[in-house]
Formats: sequence, C-alpha cells, structure tokens
Amino acid sequence: MAELDDIIHQPLRLKIMAALNALPAATGLEFSRLKKLTGATDGNLGAHIETLAKAGYVQVDKAFVGKKPQTTVTATAAGRGAFARHVATLQEIIAGKQS
Amino acid sequence: MIDSREASAALADIDDIVQRVKQSQLYELASLAAVWWGILVFAGNLVTWLWPIHAGQAWVAVNVVGVGGLVALRVFNPPHHPHGAAHSIRILLVFVLFFAFGYLCTNVVGHFGPRQLGAFWPLYFMLFYTLAGLWFGYAFVAIGLGISALTLIGFFYIGEAFPLWMAFVNGGGLILGGLWMRRI
Repeated sequence: MAELDDIIHQPLRLKIMAALNALPAATGLEFSRLKKLTGATDGNLGAHIETLAKAGYVQVDKAFVGKKPQTTVTATAAGRGAFARHVATLQEIIAGKQS
Repeated sequence: MIDSREASAALADIDDIVQRVKQSQLYELASLAAVWWGILVFAGNLVTWLWPIHAGQAWVAVNVVGVGGLVALRVFNPPHHPHGAAHSIRILLVFVLFFAFGYLCTNVVGHFGPRQLGAFWPLYFMLFYTLAGLWFGYAFVAIGLGISALTLIGFFYIGEAFPLWMAFVNGGGLILGGLWMRRI
C-alpha cells in the first residue's frame, strides 16, 4: 500500500512541486514567478523551498542577472519521482483502494 | 491518511497550478511575439506616414521579418509535446491562410485604399487575437478588443495622421500589451 509523502503533502509544497513538475525536466522557475503562481509570501515560500531542497526534491540555484540576484528552483529527478508517487496515491484514495 | 474528499481537493489544487504554469509560459512567449510585432508595426506605420510611396515595400518587409521572428521564437522555444513538428507546420499554415484570406478580401473581392488597408489588417489580426483569448486567456481578449476599438476610432475620426495614430495604437498597443502579459 503506497503512503502519502509527508514532505509533499503540505498544501504550499504540493503547489510548488506541481508547478515545477509541469515544466520539462531540468527547467526551473524563478522565485518571483513561483511566488506569483502559488500566491505565497517571500518568507513562507523560501521556508518551504528549503524543506523541499533538504529532502532532495528541488535544486536551488542562485545567480546574478546583471546586478539583480535571481533564484531559480528546479525539481530534481527524485522530486519528480516522489511527486508522481504522491499523485498516484491520491488517485488510489479517490478510487477507494485506500482509506 | 486522508479521505477521498481531501484527496480530490489536493488533485484539484494540482490541476489548478498546472493550468496556471501553462498559461504563464504561453503568456511569456506571446509577450515576446507581441512586442516583436509591435516594434515592426510601429515602424511600418511610421514609414507609411512619413514616406507613403514606400508603404508597400515597408509592409512586405514588416510581414516577412515578423513571421521570421516568430519562426525563430519557435526554434529557440521548441514545443514540449510529442507532435511538435506537425504542430509547427500547422502554425505556419495558419499564417499562410491568414495572409491569403486577407489578400483575397482586400485585393480580389474588394479594392481597398491605403486607409482601408491600414484599418483592415489590424482589425483582422486582432480578431484572431480576441478569438484566441477565448481559449488561452483574458489578456488576449483585452488587447484584441482594445486595439480594435482604438483602430475604429482612428479610422472614423483621425484625418491625415491615421498612420501615425496606428503606429501608436497598434504598434504601441502591442508593445504595452506584451509587457503587461509578462506581469500577469
């Protein structure tokens, strides 16, 4: 019986992973765009990205574009796998295979 | 463990965010295309206003460079679906049909003068923009209807300076609309 992934299941982290997973592999989203998409605040988003990064589900890259710092978040292969399993578990719950 | 209602809500959240990401990516590409066409259309109208004798060549150049830019945009941002090549060919065919139908209307069925041509092509282009917006997002509808309304105002109420009006309304409108798309 598959288990829900506690790290991904938190609502904001689920949104972050869903957004990153919608992109082609190795393509990331800028922090500001992720903030707009999820509707999160800077601090909240930063904290949850850190949790996902510690779990190895996302990779965070910081660079300077001109003089502006830019943070890009990308889902790792492990993160994509964990997200796919999490979605499959949700679908199993709906189908009544788990409760 | 959660129940099926909570699981459905979580999947609905995922669907919602995936749609938003797709729309955001579409707006990003559409924004580049709008700014590109906006600059070209601005230049084309300016040439038409300043040197009407060269308007014909200017608009051929605008269309060739404009479509070339879109092809380049497509090459550097390849589609991420399994039928990418077929999709690109369909887009090219859309442009061929678009210009062919426009030519048929303006030169075969009717014989439009410079002022009518200056109003027809933006209205025709914005019709597709507005229709696309019904599927792809309200920004296209807002830009399409806004530029169409201003084009009609210019057509009926602006005299000799109509091409100059269109440079700002059509060219400037596309540039501003494109920049606005990047912010939403």
